[in-house]
Amino acid sequence: MTRTYWRSLAQLEEHPESRAFLEREFPEGASELPEGITRRDMMMLLGASLSLAGLAGCRRPVEEIVPYVTAPEEIVPGVPRYYATTMPFRRSAYGLIVESHEGRPTKIEGNPGHPATLGASSARIQASVLGLYDPDRSQTVRLKGEAKSWNDFVTAWGQLSKAHAADGGAGLAVLSESFCSPTLARLTSELRARFPRATWATYEAVSDENRLAGLRSVTGRDLDLMLRIDQASVILALDADPLLTDPEMIRHTRGFAAGRRAGASGGAMNRLYSVEGVYSLTGAMADHRLRLESRQIAPFLAALAARIVPPTAGGASLAGAGVPGVDPRWIDALAKDLLANRSKGLIVAGERQPAAVHAAVCALNTYLGNNGSTVTYYETKDAALPSVSSLGSLVSAMQGGAIRTLVVLGGNPVFDAPADLDFASAMAKVPDSIALGHSVDETSSKATWHVPRAHYLESWGDARAVGGTLSVVQPLILPLFGGRTPVEVLGLMVGDKDRPGYDIVQETWKPILAEAEFEKKWNRVLHDGLLAGSELPEVVPKLTAEPFADLARAIGPAAGSAGDLEVVFLPSPALHDGRFANDGWLQELPDPLTKLTWDNPALLSPKTAETLGLAGGDVVRLDHAGRSLELPVWLLPGMTDGVVALTLGYGRSHAGRIGSGVGFDTFKVRSSKTPGFDSGAKLTKLARTYPLSATQEHGSMEGRPVVRESTVTALRSKPAAGAETSESAHGGDSPQAPKAGVPSALGVFPEDPHHFSLWKEHTYDKGPQWGMTIDLNACIGCNACMVACQSENNVPVVGKDQVAKGREMHWIRVDRYFSGEPAGNPEIVFQPVPCMHCEDAPCEQVCPVAATVHDAQGLNVMVYNRCIGTRYCSNNCPYKVRRFNFFNFTKDTPDILKLAMNPDVTVRARGVMEKCTYCTQRINRVRIDARLAGRELRDGDVKTACQQACPASAIEFGDIRNPSSRVVAAKNDPRNYALLEELNTKPRTTYLAKVRNPNPDLEPSTSSGSAAPHSANPAGPGAAASHETGPVA
Amino acid sequence: MGQIFPPWWNKLPIVAALAGSLGPALAVAGVWYFFSPWFTDVGYRPVQPVPYSHKLHVGELGLDCRYCHASVEISSVANVPPTQTCMNCHQTVKRDSELLAPIRASVASGHPMRWIRVHKLPDYAYFAHNAHVAAGIGCVTCHGRIDEMETVTQMTPLSMGWCLDCHRDPGPNRRPISEVTNMKWAPPRDVATLAAQLDRERPVNPPTDCSGCHR
Repeated sequence: MTRTYWRSLAQLEEHPESRAFLEREFPEGASELPEGITRRDMMMLLGASLSLAGLAGCRRPVEEIVPYVTAPEEIVPGVPRYYATTMPFRRSAYGLIVESHEGRPTKIEGNPGHPATLGASSARIQASVLGLYDPDRSQTVRLKGEAKSWNDFVTAWGQLSKAHAADGGAGLAVLSESFCSPTLARLTSELRARFPRATWATYEAVSDENRLAGLRSVTGRDLDLMLRIDQASVILALDADPLLTDPEMIRHTRGFAAGRRAGASGGAMNRLYSVEGVYSLTGAMADHRLRLESRQIAPFLAALAARIVPPTAGGASLAGAGVPGVDPRWIDALAKDLLANRSKGLIVAGERQPAAVHAAVCALNTYLGNNGSTVTYYETKDAALPSVSSLGSLVSAMQGGAIRTLVVLGGNPVFDAPADLDFASAMAKVPDSIALGHSVDETSSKATWHVPRAHYLESWGDARAVGGTLSVVQPLILPLFGGRTPVEVLGLMVGDKDRPGYDIVQETWKPILAEAEFEKKWNRVLHDGLLAGSELPEVVPKLTAEPFADLARAIGPAAGSAGDLEVVFLPSPALHDGRFANDGWLQELPDPLTKLTWDNPALLSPKTAETLGLAGGDVVRLDHAGRSLELPVWLLPGMTDGVVALTLGYGRSHAGRIGSGVGFDTFKVRSSKTPGFDSGAKLTKLARTYPLSATQEHGSMEGRPVVRESTVTALRSKPAAGAETSESAHGGDSPQAPKAGVPSALGVFPEDPHHFSLWKEHTYDKGPQWGMTIDLNACIGCNACMVACQSENNVPVVGKDQVAKGREMHWIRVDRYFSGEPAGNPEIVFQPVPCMHCEDAPCEQVCPVAATVHDAQGLNVMVYNRCIGTRYCSNNCPYKVRRFNFFNFTKDTPDILKLAMNPDVTVRARGVMEKCTYCTQRINRVRIDARLAGRELRDGDVKTACQQACPASAIEFGDIRNPSSRVVAAKNDPRNYALLEELNTKPRTTYLAKVRNPNPDLEPSTSSGSAAPHSANPAGPGAAASHETGPVA
Repeated sequence: MGQIFPPWWNKLPIVAALAGSLGPALAVAGVWYFFSPWFTDVGYRPVQPVPYSHKLHVGELGLDCRYCHASVEISSVANVPPTQTCMNCHQTVKRDSELLAPIRASVASGHPMRWIRVHKLPDYAYFAHNAHVAAGIGCVTCHGRIDEMETVTQMTPLSMGWCLDCHRDPGPNRRPISEVTNMKWAPPRDVATLAAQLDRERPVNPPTDCSGCHR
């Protein structure tokens, strides 16, 4: 099977600009100064810095040592401490272990004992530590913009509260984010008891409201669900992205990767079908992906259900069994696969799909016996459930003047409320509005009172995680800017007394843990970060309604309205709904699919763009439902034709110095009736373009074979050959890829007769020899490793202009390769690329000052204080993993942000090269600790930051001289291959090829795979399973 | 019209030759000597906010190093003690001493003492006290006879070359772990035998790679 891999449309078309970019090691202008500095200024600066340097050099700088006055117990300077805490996010809660250096949290990891993180983390969790030290956070209480104290607010609230208590709170309203927290739930009910006539609204810009509504309609109860993807053999994602934008993506990814890994090592491999309009990360991982507009999901589901559910069981109400533009064979094969894997299948629908779809999905899962095995349900408890309609009625009450006091308990409704509600003008009609916010954001700047909100690392609180596990939010540091938590504000509202959050949370937990030995049990909860055994009981839903009839009704006439553009609203994988907009790490994180940084253009398929006469970067005016928005477009191959995707969370005006004015505010065209997707959008090309910074062509390896993939059947038939397909980006002009060579377990590469080295080779026969494997089969390309590395290794943020010049500094990047027809449905492979730590490193051979050399443990080390910045090493690196500090990116770092730096890693200055070190600081710490403890290093002692964060466990790291280590086991996998092996660089980082598990019924008949020829006839509805259809066992 | 070139100009070639040969030699020697950490760093003796005498406390009163620098065995940092450690004794001893006024002020106000760092490594060099103590490198080896110092003075250059001398051949600088903080311990006459014995008991493999200290 021959595949052609390509990174971008420009590259595929051999666009001259793209060629020119690739041919230059450093892009044009890379060695020029940023604009705005003239030659004269330059001379002045040079002169000044020379004289200053001369003066400064004469004196030894005086450095002070500032010890504690009274040393806190347990803190030893230089030894980090680790505490368990929880990051609440929407109605989810991520259990974390946070590293603290002398009282300042610096690095966040997942809590291995916590069901939501399982020891891993995500890009957003990793980046949240930067949010703590955000210098743009609000530092004081404000009344109409003037600085006030918290006590002033307490007094003011006392007066408001007295007024409202008189009439039972009729004029009082609280607008909250959704949450799932025992303490907040208790305070809420107390507040309702005190002000029975008060209005309560819960709004979440991106929410699972439709799923809750669907489950409510079909079961009559408020149920949450928990996906057990690890148990699933056949997964169908309907416009859903459980692997990235879903709040439980870590858990889902861990389960999905387990199923993939099992298949690659001889067990059963799961099979993922994805039906979606916008190319999502889940779609990228799918074995079969069907492009379908979001509005066609309901008809598709009806067609699928008609094939699965016999008429007697309610399937009769589903009239048509066809979906325009969809090959019925596809649905037949899918139905057959799902039926063949009863109780091992899983259907999941996306949050933006309507309630009827979620209800029907629940019914289908019930019919297939998946409920209770691959998906379980539990009653929502201690939760504020999101509801757009509650916001709608609140806004109309505000407009009508019925609300005298509005408390915005977190969230940013002025920015993210649906445009048709016009929240800002409604808020202007409320005499007293109180907004709790991390910064003086869009809402806080319009509110009467603003109260700074504490970061979760400064807060006492609690939350229920997925499955209901009680988790505790424990502060790592006192509030840096005197922030208050929602718990404290609600506590003030119910009791008119200013009480510390700790007391309020403990009050909730006393009945939970029982009085006897409370302190002991409480300390155990703080230590673990969760209360063991506090999961909510599983509920077996009884279907009360007729979901398929509802689905048939929901399809209605709208389904036929093809021909116009469908607009789809996506949460940003980095910024979510905009709450993380001021986080530089997340802004600069390339989008997993588009590889764009610092922006959110409208996404179109290449064919749609061609029809409309648009090219990437063209600015368009989008008209939809009477509102319009001007923004650029970007072409994403694999998007469904006729769909325009708008990413939410950008275009904030009051985010701070990082996030303000970045991107385009797509909330402006989002209405409360169709927050997910809608028909009838119109694009008009405007006569201008907009520069966008994408990293997709940076670090190209010039069309050499880099990613390899195979199928389960091919892998089974020729296990020794391993991953067989590996083709060039330019299709066929590269030599046949060499066989996948397996380095021996001891890291000594078999000497190939064609390959000999001109250099004296190291022996690497003593001590630990570090090596890494990255399993492309498990990697989902979520970028968690990139931010984890950035946090661990003090990697700077460079900004949009510098990214456009190819100067981004990420030590590990995730390359995204397409293969297939660009105008059709191309497949995607992700490949994380850190430094390969070549045993014969090309970079070392060209460095004139020996600033990059090998150490005895096989690391290719970079010596910053030797580097003179010739950049020869980067020129000679075939993997393009070296990063150069073109400017002193950390020079203007505000003091407070320096607290986020890892003290064990040098902060690099201008003019030096840097790159992945295999987290040498972690290796050194573990080696010294092992020596002090008088023991040998054990496998798993050293975890690199990327490995620890990876939700898919795709990265193994360890001593390749230890034959029982996990990394050696991975390197002995037949799928193991070295990147650009023919260059004889002997990289220590190797890859395991990706394996796909296509359904033989859907394979094109000319497949070169060794699958037996199969019938092209579609199987009838409810066809019996044949032995071929199930996942390979 | 007088001569343009007076007679002493005849000596010019000799003077030029001498200057030409001596000048560079002197320059090299000057850089060699004056730019060396032995000249620039050794002998650094800043004035501390409180004239704490190690000679009195360690040499005469016999305090162990670890009474104040308590984390030296467990952390890469050998901590400078919190003010409270001073007050452990000085709330009863020399309660009214003028010299101790800053210490009392620190305890009363809660503002920390600001000592001046004497032994300073560059920011890109990561030194681990715990690893060195565990390897049997005495405090004296790097810090000198602290017990004889009225004011702490840098006695060794702490330069990379100086570190590497020992990393390449640690034997002569090792001592039994029990003697690490002993200021007066003298190596036995037969250093090689002791080194061999220590190496058998607790072999060390000090890194000479860049990554050993630079991260």
